[in-house]
Amino acid sequence: MTSSLPLTITLGYVLVVMAVGLHARRGRRMDSLEEWGVAGRSMGPVTLYLLIAAGSVSAYTFMGAPGWAYAKGVPVFYVVVYLAYLALVAWYCGPRVWAFGERFGHVTQASAIADRYQSPFLGGLSALVMSVGSLAYAVLQTVGSAYILTVMSGGAIPVWLGVIGVLSCIALYLFVSGQRAIGRTNAFQGVLMFVVAWAVGLWAVHSATGGWRFAAVFDRVRDEHAAWLSLPGAGGDMSFRFWTTSVIVSMLSFMPPVWTQWMSAASAATIRRSATWLPGYYLVILPMVMVGFIGIYTLPELARSDTVVLEYAMQHLPALLVGLLGAGTLAASMSSCEPFIHSVALSYGKDVIQPLCGLSDATTAQLTRWLIVPLMALIVAPLAIAEPGSLVMILLVGLGFATQVLPAFIGMFLWPRASRAGVIAGIVVGFVVTTAFTTLWKHPLGIHAGFWGLMANLPIFVAVSLATRPVEAAVTERFFRIAAPHWYRRRGEQAIRAHNTRESAARGD
Amino acid sequence: MHRYFVLPTTLPGWGLLIAFLAVLALGLWPVIGWVNHAPGWLGMPAIVVWSYVVVFASCTVMAIANRFVDDDAGSGDD
Repeated sequence: MTSSLPLTITLGYVLVVMAVGLHARRGRRMDSLEEWGVAGRSMGPVTLYLLIAAGSVSAYTFMGAPGWAYAKGVPVFYVVVYLAYLALVAWYCGPRVWAFGERFGHVTQASAIADRYQSPFLGGLSALVMSVGSLAYAVLQTVGSAYILTVMSGGAIPVWLGVIGVLSCIALYLFVSGQRAIGRTNAFQGVLMFVVAWAVGLWAVHSATGGWRFAAVFDRVRDEHAAWLSLPGAGGDMSFRFWTTSVIVSMLSFMPPVWTQWMSAASAATIRRSATWLPGYYLVILPMVMVGFIGIYTLPELARSDTVVLEYAMQHLPALLVGLLGAGTLAASMSSCEPFIHSVALSYGKDVIQPLCGLSDATTAQLTRWLIVPLMALIVAPLAIAEPGSLVMILLVGLGFATQVLPAFIGMFLWPRASRAGVIAGIVVGFVVTTAFTTLWKHPLGIHAGFWGLMANLPIFVAVSLATRPVEAAVTERFFRIAAPHWYRRRGEQAIRAHNTRESAARGD
Repeated sequence: MHRYFVLPTTLPGWGLLIAFLAVLALGLWPVIGWVNHAPGWLGMPAIVVWSYVVVFASCTVMAIANRFVDDDAGSGDD
């Protein structure tokens, strides 16, 4: 393909997203964490819907998922299932997190943890460790962005220049407009991705089969590659156990940007309304995955499976659609990259530097905005350019940790008796087990390493919590009056009745 | 100090909990194992169609649940 149209469209997208991000500020002062960090808790249901949807659809949807379909087949659909379940988690937890933030002033996940367990140390620790997975994720998305620019320019834009260009663009509108920029750009990117995915997918099906029916693609795959169409898939490694435990572990990973998105909502009801229809957005995955299935028989010799959509598009689609695919893939990687960089800066400022240095809220807010610059310049950009081989492993270990923080959230939403020591013990044991089963002995018995971690983590968490001093009653009461008001009131009434009965018995009534 | 886990306190609350758990079960073993062996639907592999059945079941259960929660409260019917 020699046309300059694809690159023009892709760069045009970058200009539009810059304009949208910078305009998102609209005269507001960004000198408080509440405004820069969580958009003044003001987002309506449509923006929030597209913010969460686009944030969860990364370059993986446009490159990795079709690559999985190409290499393994239907196992890729576990992603659709766990994304739908993440919406259920958002429906239940999101409104509670929003209410905690609104009433107690939290702007980060780690500040909620520090408050619930009355431990700035635990908050700072979770901020630091969560940032490992978050930064690795941001690096991978940046790599994906730069790769798209390189492909669309026919190699004229080298990876290093693509990395610097994409990060500069994100840095500018993130600094100026904070979470409002993420909301507006994700809304734009979310619509763009959905339209592009279906346009590319349908066109690819038509060019491969002469019709519009996805079934025709599967008929062809069924004839020659039947193993791709049922579990455990072509690689033989997606057993029912691995499918089930992967879905469970993925849906229980409470990543910090998601928390920030929930706290950016205008109300608790806004989150529920957005979460309700969120799974429908994941129809975006189906057409892209179809291109992966088409690639099985049209591009049998691909060296890298995650290039299947780009390769197919370059060979079979018109330049206009190739350009839109470039813009859509760039949108997917940028929309996932920016919330992670933003949430790491927010959490480093609020949960690590402020308690360590005793800074005022105003100073912390200023510092946090500037933090995105060293984060990008010293960590994300060098790693994205060097692309070390251990990056994916760092990401897997980081995401493994994200699931192991589950006890901290059980103690917020479901179990008042959770203690600080119990949470720390559970996290440490779970993290060690997950890391060992990710790096040394991978997924024993075909069960996801993170699930093994949870099986060690949760019993330790419960046992140590019961054996150690609980967090003071006033704090748990504060949280559970929001998290479970009816249950808390009923339990309180039962406790009073039991107390009165004991007193009566003691008096010999 | 409450030693117990949060549970529903009303009949609709229990109904919603069961509905949410049922939707979760749709996407996991053993259900996914039964679906895997089913013949394809609409010319598509059964597991592809089923994944989107899970998607629409998730939307449906949340849409129903919205009718039972307070609109402005931070929490629903626990």
